[in-house]
Amino acid sequence: MGDKVITVENVSKRYGSIHAVDGLSFEVSASTCFALLGPNGAGKTTMMKMIYGKAERDSASSGKINVFGFDPANDELSIKYLSGVVPQDNNLDEELNVEENLKVYSRFYDITGRKAQDRITFLLDFLELSERKKAAIRELSGGMKRRLVIARALINEPRLLILDEPTTGLDPQVRHVIWEKLRHLKQGGTTLLLTTHYMEEASQLCDSVLIMNKGARVIEGHPSDLLKNIEKYVIEIPNGKMPDGIRGSIDSTGIRIDETMEMTRLFSNDMDKLKLIADMLDRKEYYMRQSNLEDIFLKTTGRKLNEQQ
Amino acid sequence: MKKTPTYPPLYKRLCGVWRRHFAVYTKNLYSNAFPPFMEPLIFLAAVGLGIGKFIAGTVEGFQYLEFLATGLLMTSAMYTSAFECSYGTFIRLEFDKVYDGMLAAPVTAENLITGEIIWAGTKGLFFSFAVLAVMAAFGIITSPYSAFTPIIGFATGIMFAVLSLLVTSYVKNINHFNFYFTGLLSPMFFFSGVIFSVGDLPQSLRAVSEALPLTHTVRIVRMCCAGKMSPIIMWDFAYIAIFTVIVGWLAMHRLRKRLVN
Repeated sequence: MGDKVITVENVSKRYGSIHAVDGLSFEVSASTCFALLGPNGAGKTTMMKMIYGKAERDSASSGKINVFGFDPANDELSIKYLSGVVPQDNNLDEELNVEENLKVYSRFYDITGRKAQDRITFLLDFLELSERKKAAIRELSGGMKRRLVIARALINEPRLLILDEPTTGLDPQVRHVIWEKLRHLKQGGTTLLLTTHYMEEASQLCDSVLIMNKGARVIEGHPSDLLKNIEKYVIEIPNGKMPDGIRGSIDSTGIRIDETMEMTRLFSNDMDKLKLIADMLDRKEYYMRQSNLEDIFLKTTGRKLNEQQ
Repeated sequence: MKKTPTYPPLYKRLCGVWRRHFAVYTKNLYSNAFPPFMEPLIFLAAVGLGIGKFIAGTVEGFQYLEFLATGLLMTSAMYTSAFECSYGTFIRLEFDKVYDGMLAAPVTAENLITGEIIWAGTKGLFFSFAVLAVMAAFGIITSPYSAFTPIIGFATGIMFAVLSLLVTSYVKNINHFNFYFTGLLSPMFFFSGVIFSVGDLPQSLRAVSEALPLTHTVRIVRMCCAGKMSPIIMWDFAYIAIFTVIVGWLAMHRLRKRLVN
């Protein structure tokens, strides 16, 4: 415990003039869950790919990547043998059924015969896909396909599971099932590295979150520690709904105002002050809640997590 | 300290890639294999029997029907391998994203490409064997040395695999393959000694014919079926080796960049 499974040091990747990843550094300890959280285009997927050798980091900079003591530029096979990767797209073999997809894949790890069969049965059970063993990929829902890709990544009992946007596009119920499975794996000792643009996913699953934007780190820490960087409570008012008179009342109270095109947010550590403002508004015109990682992202970058690039 | 198990050795990784292609291909075996299998037989029947009737003498020592049949053994290997490594590879690469999935396993991009080439070679072997079996059954090809044909079919498959992969590495739009098939492979079908002897070509075109990969494997097969080896077979084997190494290296180098950015 406390062993560093992944060490990334000053890694960059440029595509022409675009800095997809810009001097990023972080460490992932064994049996923890680490998330790269950021909007689309932040460089999360590119960083993931460099970790398992699917993309090459810029050699001009002095960047280093170390996974289980191996450098993906030289030893991608060793890393991939000890890891499971769940890519962003469900790239399953559409011509084969659920079971056959896993059988073909187990060969890559030299797992065959009885051992493969047992492992496949166990994984289908774990991901709740046993009933669809012989189903064609085409027949599966988005959530089932995702679970199958996760099962596939777990074939060789990986010590590290890398997931690129594991629950994007899935409905909440499936999302929670997958989170439950990931928690279970973490408890069993598996290290998890995931990318996401859902702050809820990062908060719920992870011990450590690195918020990134435009290829670089914005802020990093345990979700609850990160929340110390922002006021505890916030009122969200859709723009156009804040009566002018109220603005005058707010200025003297020390409440922080953040205005974007669609929304005005009022932040404060003092719930009573916000309640006073809320009383002046029409019930239906505002939403009061605790602040979250998305608010931190907004505060530090001036952008929303789910904005289109 | 417990010894950590390590990733599978090279031959097992290539085998894994091969097995994946085999599993997918055999899932739809009838629709995948039957039409390409029938094609040379139909061509042979129509042209070999139909036009062969008008050809009185022998061509390179064969009756026309047998002459054409021995050539078609290699064209079936050529086409099956070319389709696999052009359209097949492109679709896997761009639409299915199958390679992304495979690269998450302990295989390298080079292993993937090599496995693909060997698979295409296998298809060449299988198809030339299947067509040979039919032609032998009908008594069209009789020489016992024709048993070497599937091995030459494998070589044909390999050559057209590397050539097609090189073309694929340049293709951004699937329609561009039309240029490859119509502009290169179709002419090759006609100028490699399959339909008529390359000896009948004017001197200027003769050189072109010798530069084409299909010419060499067709010639080796003809020699086997005639039971008569000639020194030019050394040139043919040399060509196959050099072609495979050079084009293979280029294809690997370019295609790798599309798999690992």
